[in-house]
Amino acid sequence: MNGGELSPAVVFTIGALQLTSTTLTTLGIVAVLGVVVWLLSRRLRNQPGAIQTSAEAVFLAIEDSIRAVAPDHVKLLLPFVGTLWIFLVVANLTGLIPGLHSPTRDLSATAALAILVFLSVHWFGIRDQGLRRYLRHYVSPNPILLPFHILSEITRTVALAVRLFGNMMSLEMAALLVLLVAGFLAPIPILMLHIVEALVQAYIFGMLSLIYVAGGLQLQQLKQASQGNNEIGENRE
Amino acid sequence: MELNWTTFLLEILNFLVLLWLLKRFFYKPVQAAIVRRQAAIQQQLDDAQKMKEDAQQLQQSYEQDRAALEQIREEARAKLQRELDDERKQQEQKLAELFEEKRQQAEVVEQRQLRESQRRQEQQALEQGSRFATRLLQAGAGRELESGLLDILLDGLRKLPPEQRATVQQTLSEQHGPVEVMSAFPLSTDDRERINDTLTEIFDSEVPSHFLEDSDLMAGLRIAIGPWVVGANLRDELEAFAHLETVGPND
Repeated sequence: MNGGELSPAVVFTIGALQLTSTTLTTLGIVAVLGVVVWLLSRRLRNQPGAIQTSAEAVFLAIEDSIRAVAPDHVKLLLPFVGTLWIFLVVANLTGLIPGLHSPTRDLSATAALAILVFLSVHWFGIRDQGLRRYLRHYVSPNPILLPFHILSEITRTVALAVRLFGNMMSLEMAALLVLLVAGFLAPIPILMLHIVEALVQAYIFGMLSLIYVAGGLQLQQLKQASQGNNEIGENRE
Repeated sequence: MELNWTTFLLEILNFLVLLWLLKRFFYKPVQAAIVRRQAAIQQQLDDAQKMKEDAQQLQQSYEQDRAALEQIREEARAKLQRELDDERKQQEQKLAELFEEKRQQAEVVEQRQLRESQRRQEQQALEQGSRFATRLLQAGAGRELESGLLDILLDGLRKLPPEQRATVQQTLSEQHGPVEVMSAFPLSTDDRERINDTLTEIFDSEVPSHFLEDSDLMAGLRIAIGPWVVGANLRDELEAFAHLETVGPND
């Protein structure tokens, strides 16, 4: 757990591209996860071992969480939301490895993830409902609400990025300060707190992303359902 | 704290690459493995369900077979019961017939024993009567009685039927011997002459007579012409009287 500087250091530059420690750590995480899942995919059996059972448990946990929020779009949302959860858990816990920083303590990384969530909300919404029907909900029930809808989209995306960045950054800074003040054994509870905080922040980010995406998907369905109920009520009258 | 656009863009790229990797090597394979296992489990459940249905069919078939066997057993038992009842009735009938037969036999035996007892009593009574009569006649026997018996004998000879008289004559002609005249007391000359005269009169020829005495006759005479014997004496009469008991009314 190293929290020596607020901004990640630039390791090297390729022309105009500045490769920071955050980028390299993320590359390493992607590489490790890629190798792990590649090895796992080669050893899947009908009689699962401990590793396969754990992997299936992770998969089923993600699937159940998505099904609880968006039961009609589990297959559609599982890759994106699952990847968010898996990446964030690993990325948040990377800060526990000596010499490495958690990528999520970098605002650029959390902003990238928040932008991905923002784009995904619209991508899945347009893909599911079409562009016109999806955009229509911004002026529904009244066009006056359009600025508020846009403001809501921006603020929640910013909040998503800053929340994760702030929590992880402050966590590492606090651990650094405790380490500097209290010496050798005192940071151990902070390490435990880091683990818990890393898992909680990953869950919060992923769950909020899921709720945003599912909200974009199911908003139209809720409207259709309410319209259907109104029509039934009118027919009865 | 500043936004690095290179990091920003590369983070997006890295995430998309990770998304592809996980989708390619994690989500799809794991989901496929789960589906395969669920299919295998479903197959096992289906097999188990089929086995259960087969077992239920077998159980049902077994129940039907058992019911059929039970019915056959009940029918066989009923048939056996009927046969036993018939056999029992037959045995009872046979037993009743046997009992009746035995009862009749016992009744016959009882009657026979009763008759035998009655006969023995009669015989005993006759023997006692005979002994009494013998004792009485012995006391009363004498020449006078013998003389009377001689008259009876001679009178009986005279009254012989012709065919019987012819038979005696034939016996006399074949015998060539004397006629034995046995008496309990010595006969007088007159009595002997009366006898000879009567015999000559009856058989139309001179018949030699040989006179004997036998006190066992008690009183009276006995004339023997070969195997033909005629007499009028107390001994023969008493024996005849005693012989009556052997010829009962039912014999």
